Amino acid sequence: MSDDRSTGDDRSTDRAMYDEWQDRERMEQLLDETEYDTELGMELAEDAQRVVAGELSEAEFEERHHDAVVEEFGQDDRELSIPDEFEDDDSGFRETVQRLADGEEVDRREVMKAGGVAAMALSGSLGGTKLGSRDESAAQAGGGEGEEDTQYGMVINLNNCDGCLACMVACKQENNTSRGSSWMYVMAFEEDAQDDESFLVRPCQHCDEAACEKVCPVGARHTREDDGIVLTDYEICIGCRYCQVACPYGVNYFQWGEPDTPESELDPEHVYDERGKRVDSRPVKGTMGKCTFCPTRQDGKQGEDKVGTTACEDACAMDAIHFGDMNNPESAPNQHLEEYRSEQSNDREDWENRKEHTVSTFRLLEDKGTDPNVVYVGNEPGEHAHQVEGPVTYEDVGLVDNRKEEVLDKGKAANDGGGETA
Amino acid sequence: MSTDAGREALVRPFQRTTKRYYGLLALVLLAIGVFAAGYTQQLQHGLIVTGLGDWGSGGGVPWGLYIGAFIWWVGIAHGGIILSAAVRLIGLDTYQPVARIAELLTIAALSVAGLYIIVHVGRPDRIVTSIIPAWPTRVHWSPLVWDVTVITLYFVLTATYLSLTIRYDVHRLRDRMPDIFDPVYDLMLIGYTEKEDEIVERMVWWVALAIIILAPLLLHGGVIPWLFALLPSMAGWAGGVQGPSFLMIALTSAISGVIIAAAIFRRVYGWQELIGDEVFRGLAKWLGFFGLLFLWLQLQQVVTGIFAAPVSLTHATEAKLAKPLYQALIAMVVAAEAYIFASALKPKLFTIPRLVGASLLVLAATLTEKVLFVVEGLQHAHFSLYDGVAGTYVPSLIELSSLLGTTAIVVLYFMIFAKLIPVVELHAVEDEHDADGEEVSA
Repeated sequence: MSDDRSTGDDRSTDRAMYDEWQDRERMEQLLDETEYDTELGMELAEDAQRVVAGELSEAEFEERHHDAVVEEFGQDDRELSIPDEFEDDDSGFRETVQRLADGEEVDRREVMKAGGVAAMALSGSLGGTKLGSRDESAAQAGGGEGEEDTQYGMVINLNNCDGCLACMVACKQENNTSRGSSWMYVMAFEEDAQDDESFLVRPCQHCDEAACEKVCPVGARHTREDDGIVLTDYEICIGCRYCQVACPYGVNYFQWGEPDTPESELDPEHVYDERGKRVDSRPVKGTMGKCTFCPTRQDGKQGEDKVGTTACEDACAMDAIHFGDMNNPESAPNQHLEEYRSEQSNDREDWENRKEHTVSTFRLLEDKGTDPNVVYVGNEPGEHAHQVEGPVTYEDVGLVDNRKEEVLDKGKAANDGGGETA
Repeated sequence: MSTDAGREALVRPFQRTTKRYYGLLALVLLAIGVFAAGYTQQLQHGLIVTGLGDWGSGGGVPWGLYIGAFIWWVGIAHGGIILSAAVRLIGLDTYQPVARIAELLTIAALSVAGLYIIVHVGRPDRIVTSIIPAWPTRVHWSPLVWDVTVITLYFVLTATYLSLTIRYDVHRLRDRMPDIFDPVYDLMLIGYTEKEDEIVERMVWWVALAIIILAPLLLHGGVIPWLFALLPSMAGWAGGVQGPSFLMIALTSAISGVIIAAAIFRRVYGWQELIGDEVFRGLAKWLGFFGLLFLWLQLQQVVTGIFAAPVSLTHATEAKLAKPLYQALIAMVVAAEAYIFASALKPKLFTIPRLVGASLLVLAATLTEKVLFVVEGLQHAHFSLYDGVAGTYVPSLIELSSLLGTTAIVVLYFMIFAKLIPVVELHAVEDEHDADGEEVSA
């Protein structure tokens, strides 16, 4: 799968080749699960790609596969729409394939299973369909709703951050998380050789290849099909904490004791998402919590004006946090990146080999293969970076930082909800 | 010793139950009671009663003594059955008198390891309702599900193995075994005829083969280390050395466990003839050999961790080396090794109580290593920016009570087994008789 996200920073060819190989593996697995011929599916997919690339004509494609398709499926549904669309440009073909995926007749979907889905995934140009990381059931149903998949993510401009911690406070208020459970965490850091401090704003990275999700023994940690948000189903989680152990970013916070905010004070509209799964607000006792990207906001349950926003983004007065669909060039994060880059343009008149802009972006721990959906603008912490006290301390804004010493070490007395008597 | 004398020794546990037995039973039940009381607190108030916390900005470690002890018990279980299967498979007849003790140790250790999974999770009430429906879709992803799956398979294999081999003995000794357990013996002997002995022997050989392939390659050299070695998060956990390293720790722990259990049975029931000195001398050599491999694999990790290693791995290794507990555990294994090698060179130095002492030292060292591996690993993540809030992990009394409780449960298993079934195989007695002339030192 090629990385066509408009926010995308450069990926190496090796990485692209590896992704492509992975997609191929996935498709073969997917096809193996159907009752149809895997080989035929893969051939269809590869030739469909060639048509897209202009290496193969539509007629050749038809000639090559018509008989085999009829033999395998009893009919060739592709005939119903493909020929008319073949005159179109590349994207026209892709749309056709996509439309086939939406076909209402079951057998059409099955044709898609055997061929078209593979074509989409391999071509990788249909909005970066991430079959491997979404619900398998959805992938098997034909892959997507006929539009580009939404993939919520963030562009966080660390150059704008002043370490005021307003986002951390807003997140805590929004989600009623317990003391020391910093779903959003802002840390000031310094490098050994530098004096000035930088900030790292750390929500959950909502990775495409979420390590936490892979290791979950019960599927409680999952990626929401509609928008790619990584969530925990608090009603399934068994509290084994394997997700926390596997996550390289340290974004998980377990509900070790009674939540500080009792059940009765939670707004039901802010607890269950549109699928009826308990994934929002603070977790229940004995289960895992982390930044959720505010799913009930995205579902419109908090009002239409809050769709496409998060509590931390709303609270950020410095224009550092930009939440939105990473696959949509018009979204807030992509727009911010574009504007910021244009503001920091390079002098290409005198130095024509220079890049267009001087903005450096990075994703956190990219070498871990997690494919995070948070893109940072600014200084990436190096291996020798260390945390320092920021301009605003956690205590200043009423937050607990070291949860272990300040809350958990009190043992069961900490269940009393933060009372000093504990 | 004749077969008759051997049989007489074998059924000794059934014939008298001393006050000391009841005294120990009371102690064991008390220890289990302490553990149960601690766990009740945990159920009531949540895992907040443990010393655990969130890694990252939370300054804690989410896995600790429970997981360390889980791996330790699983290791003892795996090593035990490997020993027993090897006896059967490659005819290590010397060790036949302790083969069943090793099997029973496996069953007992595996049970408490399973218990640790329940004790470890935040929502034990969901273990059945969440794991079973998710199994088909999660088994090809989560190493934790691989783990549970293979351990279950392995438990079934071990139980099959034991229930097949026990029929021969129970049938032949039944008239000298306690009547009170008749319904249990009836169940054990369903459909038994003497004609099956030969067939059962062949079946058991195949089960032993399966175990010898499964336990080292897939279990303690496989899914258990893979729980850690496959993760992208912690520097000290990654790498292919974990498989062999876990396996060696398992084997050293298991041999120590078998030595201790066998020595206790020998002393309590006067089984000097039944479990001879040569068994212990042999076990000591194996303990020395595997202990050496354990040290060698630690050396591998230390050297690759500090010489031109990536920053995060260097940091994790240096921190481990600086831990007094790590230094202590290595010293304990070295001390045990020193004794074993000295007594091999100078046989006069060898006594069974000393060997038991060395085994206890090794068990304490391997338990410490397992807990440290888990905890230290979590304190030194690749993403090291959180180092500013790294807290310390000290197991709470409730966690420590689980060690007391699970050890007591394993002892209780043995106390029950001693009264229920012959703890030494009848074959061991018969073989001695058949191969008469073999001197068994007292």
